[in-house]
Amino acid sequence: MDELDLQIRNFLYRRFVETGQAPRTDDAAAEFGLPGEEAEAAFRRLHDAHALVLERDALEIRMLNPFSCVPSAWRVEAAGRTWFSNCAWDSFAVCAALHSDGRIESSCADCGEPLAVDVRDQEAVQRGYLFHVLVPARQWWDDIVFT
Amino acid sequence: MNLFRSEEHLERWLAGRDRGGLTSVDTVCELAHAWYADRLDPGWRPHTLEHNQAILDRLGLIGEFWQLG
Repeated sequence: MDELDLQIRNFLYRRFVETGQAPRTDDAAAEFGLPGEEAEAAFRRLHDAHALVLERDALEIRMLNPFSCVPSAWRVEAAGRTWFSNCAWDSFAVCAALHSDGRIESSCADCGEPLAVDVRDQEAVQRGYLFHVLVPARQWWDDIVFT
Repeated sequence: MNLFRSEEHLERWLAGRDRGGLTSVDTVCELAHAWYADRLDPGWRPHTLEHNQAILDRLGLIGEFWQLG
C-alpha cells in the first residue's frame, strides 16, 4: 500500500466516522484532486489489499472493517451513535476502534432470540455467550462477507 | 462469526458440521481491542501477518484452525 493509498484509506475511515455515510469515489477524487478513474483504481487496490470491502457488483464501499457501511444484524451503540458491524468480533471492534464503551445488540445465531453485550473499560459485561467462527483463519478473506 | 446462548444452541446450529473456532465473549472482546484499537489512528499502518498471529497466540487461539498464513 503506497503513501497515497494509505492517505485515501485514512480519509475514507475519517469521513465515515464523521458522517456515518460510506464515502464514494468522487469524494476521494475531490479530497485529493484526483481524476475520477484514479480514485476508482485506488478503491480497487484498497479492496485487493483488504483495507476495505467493496460491494460485489459496484464500486461502493460495503465494509470499512470493523464497520459495516450497510445495515446489518449487528448493531453497536458507542460514542453517542448507532453503528452497524459485520459480525460478532467486529461488534466488539467498533468499541475498540472508537475507544469507547458500548452496547452490542444482535441475536443468537441458532434460536434468533435477542442478545446484548455491554462493553465497559474494554471488557464484556455479560460473559455467558459463546463466540464461534466456522471458517478457518487462513480462509477468512476468501469470502469475507460469508466469514 | 456468531454468538450463541450456549453450547446446546451452537450444536443445534452446526447440525452435524464440525466445530470451527470456539471461544468466550471475554476473549473475543480482548481480541477485538488488540486487533482494532489502532484502526482510526492517523498514523495507522497495516498489521503484518506476524503481528496479528502473535495476538491470536497470546490469547490462546492456537492450532491449525487459527493460523493466518
